[in-house]
Amino acid sequence: MNKSKKVLSLLLCGVMGLSFGVGCAKDPAVSSNQNQTSESQSAANTDKAGQGEAVKIAFLNSKGEIQAQLENMAKSFNEDYPNITVEIMPCPVGQSPTEILTTMYAANNTPAIVMLDPADVAAFKDKASDLSDEKWVSDAMPGSLDTLKADDKLIGFPFAVEGWGLIYNKAVLDEAGVDASAINTTSELEDAFKKIEASGKKGVVITSADWSLGAHLFTTAYSGQADNMSDIKAFLNGLAGGSTQIKDNAVVNGLLDTFDVMKKYNIAKSDPLSATYETNPEVIGSEKVGFWFMGNWAWSPIKDFAGDNTAFGFIPVPVSNNEADYGNNHMPAATTKALILDTAVNSKEQQEAAKTFLNWIVYEAKGQKGLVEECSIIPAFTNITLEINDPLGKSIQSYIKDGKTSIGVMLSNKHWGDVGAAMQKYLGDYSTREELFAEITTYWTSGDYK
Amino acid sequence: MKKQNALLTKLFTYTVFAGPVTLAFFTVIIIPFLYGLFLTFTNWDGVASNFAMVGFENYKTIFKDSGFIQSLKLTFKYVIFTVAITNAVSFSLAAILTSGTKGQNFFRAGFFTPNLIGGVALGYVWQFFFNNILTYMGKTIEIPTLQASFLSSPGQAFWALVMVAVWQYSGYMMIIYITGFLNVPKDVLEAASIDGAEGWTRVKHVIMPLIMPSFTISVFLTLQRTFMVYDVNLALTKGGPFKTTELISMYVYKKAFNERAYGIGQAQAVVLFIIVAIISITQVYLSKKKEVEA
Repeated sequence: MNKSKKVLSLLLCGVMGLSFGVGCAKDPAVSSNQNQTSESQSAANTDKAGQGEAVKIAFLNSKGEIQAQLENMAKSFNEDYPNITVEIMPCPVGQSPTEILTTMYAANNTPAIVMLDPADVAAFKDKASDLSDEKWVSDAMPGSLDTLKADDKLIGFPFAVEGWGLIYNKAVLDEAGVDASAINTTSELEDAFKKIEASGKKGVVITSADWSLGAHLFTTAYSGQADNMSDIKAFLNGLAGGSTQIKDNAVVNGLLDTFDVMKKYNIAKSDPLSATYETNPEVIGSEKVGFWFMGNWAWSPIKDFAGDNTAFGFIPVPVSNNEADYGNNHMPAATTKALILDTAVNSKEQQEAAKTFLNWIVYEAKGQKGLVEECSIIPAFTNITLEINDPLGKSIQSYIKDGKTSIGVMLSNKHWGDVGAAMQKYLGDYSTREELFAEITTYWTSGDYK
Repeated sequence: MKKQNALLTKLFTYTVFAGPVTLAFFTVIIIPFLYGLFLTFTNWDGVASNFAMVGFENYKTIFKDSGFIQSLKLTFKYVIFTVAITNAVSFSLAAILTSGTKGQNFFRAGFFTPNLIGGVALGYVWQFFFNNILTYMGKTIEIPTLQASFLSSPGQAFWALVMVAVWQYSGYMMIIYITGFLNVPKDVLEAASIDGAEGWTRVKHVIMPLIMPSFTISVFLTLQRTFMVYDVNLALTKGGPFKTTELISMYVYKKAFNERAYGIGQAQAVVLFIIVAIISITQVYLSKKKEVEA
């Protein structure tokens, strides 16, 4: 007994000693590594980086799927500017970056660059630096900066343009004899689903996450109201003020009719709320379904299951049975991620370094290549001519080129939470359409939308 | 003169031994608590540089907030079931594992292990279990109730949370009960047997009163932990499906950080603190009264 106790305590001591050793050994190794690389780099471009102390800035990334690519970009940026180190911090998929940033401000520990959803940018207006005089402002795509202004100051950098709709796997469609480009009404979509089922596959998969249903699927109905921002705003103000009833709106009802059809041909029909964003890419990538409602950000997870197949693309979610109606041929697209630069916690040098990083992305070949080809992000800048390397992004880019995009409407976290929950209920058949309308009306009259 | 010296010595001893702890206690508990209390009287949104004092406005909104009341009710339901089941299970386990069963040390270690897994990891493990393993089993052996995931139905998701909590806490509480069982004096038990008390009678009239302190601690710990649970709630259900399993901590967090109503969220947290404090103190007071000396 006594002996075994002694052995045990010895073991414990050993383990603790080891863990201390590991903790200590790690840091010097890393920093010496950094020293080495930065030495060799500074030798290579002394012209650019001669001046300036070493600056370290952090970048909060809320697009989990490009974490590794961003880290690579940070590395190649560091090659051009050896005195600036950018550290990429991840924020979990599906968790709101605003939430995290608010907690970070509460802890007084804020990254220099923060990737936010555009709807949340204005909330940080007194902490974010004014970017109105930056060079890239004049090269930004028309409309991409609209949502990033607060009090006439531009405070956001449009990082990514994204679009959402029904992703199709062409292999499945070809097998069933369906031509995706010909689908522009609800009944044609249903025919396509029927043909796919006849070929032994399932029609569609609907991700049950509240952010997908609330922030993308349902907002398609807002985008379909009009082709300009002021009319859409007027519609939303009507909803908030109570002068417009959501249940009377033709586009909303049309969208929900399509949603009913999608529900009917959903692969997870028996248990619709168990379909998660984490497992859905497998279903479409390995050709079990023809369609998936999602956005172009889903390419990297799909790719893992699609093998050599790159024949994927988008069609808009139809909102009526009249193919000429607005929305049936238009994909919602918007600036979905914006960067703000913190001024409250980070030093002047860090803020300047952050601005340098943004300019590097827009104007230097390496930065553009990293953004477009590696991260597969559709750039919001017209000076970038690189073509994106993934089929979904390409599909959106071609919609943009043809002028066939509608304005993607980005609203607050509460909108996505409340409307998303109401849509989940409707998806799982726990509520009727009237109850869905009642819950959405409750959100709109709650005063959250300003 | 001598008295003053004694006071100084005392002060010195206190500073040396308890000073660091007092400092830490003030900086990480008392000051944040008071600052938090102050924030409940403001309309701060969590990020803005300026905010205004609004008096008791935040507290007034709490009781008009149907979401808060609903979430509080759900939490009460969760606490009642979890505390009752956890303590029943851990008491039974302790009774079995002190009765001289074969391999009881192995079983004790086994039941304690879940307590060593962090809440978030545990939540994901169970999510996988409910979403994939259980549904797969249901499909293979054709039990219709198991084919749909527990987590996608509003009624069952609640029970999934209770199950995981019971599984997580039972082992820890079991250890506390085991200590209680081992401390019951053998002579009392022997006397009871001679008097003819066996089985349930012996447990109810002899053992239970003697291990009352274990009950006090276990019930207190489970009460406090289940009221404040957040990690498992987040990792297992995220409050879903459609907000039906949003326990109070998650509701308060979302209010403060997600909807950016820091003042209101903080006020709700204070109300929650008062509720939990009252319940825990009452519980400790009542069960202390029942404790007896052998």
